[in-house]
Amino acid sequence: MESTVNKFFTPQRQSKIAIGIILIKFVKTTIRAMWPLVLSFVIGRNNDQITSIIGYIVIGFAVFNLLGSVLTYFRFYFHIEEGAFLIDKGVLKRSKTNIPFERIQSINFKQNLLHQMFGVVSLEVDTAGAKKSELTIDALDKEDAEELRNYILKEKAQIIAPETEEERVSTEFLEEESGETILHLSVSDLFKVGVSQNHLKSMGLLFAFVFSTLNEITEDIPELIADQVSEYDNVIINTGWIMFLASVIIVGVISFMYSLVSTVLSNYELKLSLHQNGLKLVKGLLNREEISVSKKKIQIISWSDNPIRMLFKMFTVKIEQASSTETDQLKSKIKVPGSYQAQIDSIAKTIFPQEYYRPEEKNKVSKLLKYRLFIFLGLFPTLIGGVISYFYIDWQALYFLIWGVAIWLVVSLYYRKRSFEVNDELLKNNRGTFGHIHELIQLYKVQSVEIKQSWYQRRKKIATIVLSTAAGSVKIPFLDLDQAEVLENFILYRIESDPREWM
Amino acid sequence: MTEHFQNLSVSPADLPQVKSAEFHQIERGYLRITLLSNAIFFLILIIGAFCIIFFNNDIEGTLMEYGISIGAIAFLWLLNLIVTVKAFPKKRYALRERDIIYTKGLLWWERTSIPFNRIQHAELKQGPLDRLFKLHSLKIFTAGGQSSDLVIPGLPEDTATRLKEYILGKTALDGIDSE
Repeated sequence: MESTVNKFFTPQRQSKIAIGIILIKFVKTTIRAMWPLVLSFVIGRNNDQITSIIGYIVIGFAVFNLLGSVLTYFRFYFHIEEGAFLIDKGVLKRSKTNIPFERIQSINFKQNLLHQMFGVVSLEVDTAGAKKSELTIDALDKEDAEELRNYILKEKAQIIAPETEEERVSTEFLEEESGETILHLSVSDLFKVGVSQNHLKSMGLLFAFVFSTLNEITEDIPELIADQVSEYDNVIINTGWIMFLASVIIVGVISFMYSLVSTVLSNYELKLSLHQNGLKLVKGLLNREEISVSKKKIQIISWSDNPIRMLFKMFTVKIEQASSTETDQLKSKIKVPGSYQAQIDSIAKTIFPQEYYRPEEKNKVSKLLKYRLFIFLGLFPTLIGGVISYFYIDWQALYFLIWGVAIWLVVSLYYRKRSFEVNDELLKNNRGTFGHIHELIQLYKVQSVEIKQSWYQRRKKIATIVLSTAAGSVKIPFLDLDQAEVLENFILYRIESDPREWM
Repeated sequence: MTEHFQNLSVSPADLPQVKSAEFHQIERGYLRITLLSNAIFFLILIIGAFCIIFFNNDIEGTLMEYGISIGAIAFLWLLNLIVTVKAFPKKRYALRERDIIYTKGLLWWERTSIPFNRIQHAELKQGPLDRLFKLHSLKIFTAGGQSSDLVIPGLPEDTATRLKEYILGKTALDGIDSE
């Protein structure tokens, strides 16, 4: 084992497969930028000079890509030296990066189809701090990568906590194999998750894709649409509602299939396992991803469902960790669709002190929230819409009352779910309209407490409290001012009196 | 007040109150800076409106056109002036043993508290107008996104430097404490 680690002490190139992977990356970015050109060339509407010039440009880019990826491969070295990870790379712009182990936050693996075929992984090193400090190695043999990760994490643990070195090292080696699995998505669960996905969202994606594609292929979209529509006109006149219904069903089925397939692909064989100092998530069929987060960096655990998921008693769990920039926050989130309450409990108990993870008294927020929402979303639109349309459609304007009633029902649903629970260690925020959303934070990890009052809220002696953590914030609106101030004082006290590390 | 949250181990009544901390007003000069920069903004708008009417041949440059457009901008300016002046006394900060508090806002009032042991970094900033009035802004950074960062404007040089040193000293101290 030592010998394989030793080879990392001298500058290394990546696995040879990296050439292919870099090439594919190059081609992908080029195609993404130029595919309308390529397409118009292939379709070849006319054979004038411009198309042949475009053709040469495309071929030029292909050659450039090939050369570029080969050069990139040969100009990329990495090795380990004196407790730091060194990378020397760049063809035209050369750069040397030196990352001390103690700044490395996590090392994640990713595999796409090509990686899986050749048994290599791409390795991502996440560091704390600046935006551009993240680092990727495109392809490494899987065993080598694991070796490298173990070695770095081991060294890092020694640097950070030299006194507990012995036990750390021994457990670190054990855990690699014996990480306790908290959650394993079975095929039937996976299917349930796919079925209960938000299909409207994929319908939107589908439309966006179709339209942007059309837009890029031809510039005469209006004409195209006019053509299509005039054809449809005839069709609709001929076949009427049947045709319309059929197309609705087709779109529905396609978006359903799309979200089902994409869910299955990205969450295939999802496995969340527990390690000594964190969680590890492995998932995906074509792109196999592996993300690990350390326990102390986790700031928010949230879980939510929707009406369909409620039938399956399933939730989507999100585990958010501290990160330096807004964009990073998306990447450093662990998202597990399809977990049951028992599994959520065990995740929460693992990450947060388990004696504090228990149901507490549900504190409601002020009823004024409900009335306020109703007035702005329900009453005003109903009145304004009703009065204006009364001049056009007389008493049929009463239909606007439906809107008012519907909003009242929705707002009532929302208000009924709006509550929060707090104890010495944790705060749980419950909300949601059609589904449920629960957010759980550890009080001492909060980094700023904010009390807000609008002019209206000040007159009614209520306030909104916002608790920001390093991974986003939690908001409780329309609390009694007294209550908000008690929370403010207590949370500040908890932060200031707790010596534990918070990220 | 004590009836809230009985499950907490510390009685909330025994804790120090944020609202009864000793709050300091920020420097009066900052009001002048705000008014001045607003004046510049609105004057540019007024000049812009005037130019559009003056140089555009399609719009008849009667007194009414000038009156309506410039009057509307002037009205907004007046509103802005009133709100700025009224809101200024709300801009106050307090320093406690373990945290820093800043309040602001007239129509939308807010009070932000950041404990020293969650502060990553602090720095002083001075814009061109600030320089004219010899004032500084103290910017406090926390981890994560910008959502919980804090800016306290309108501090005279010595107070600003003292505050920054104090905060950084406390932050460093807390760091040692925890290790």
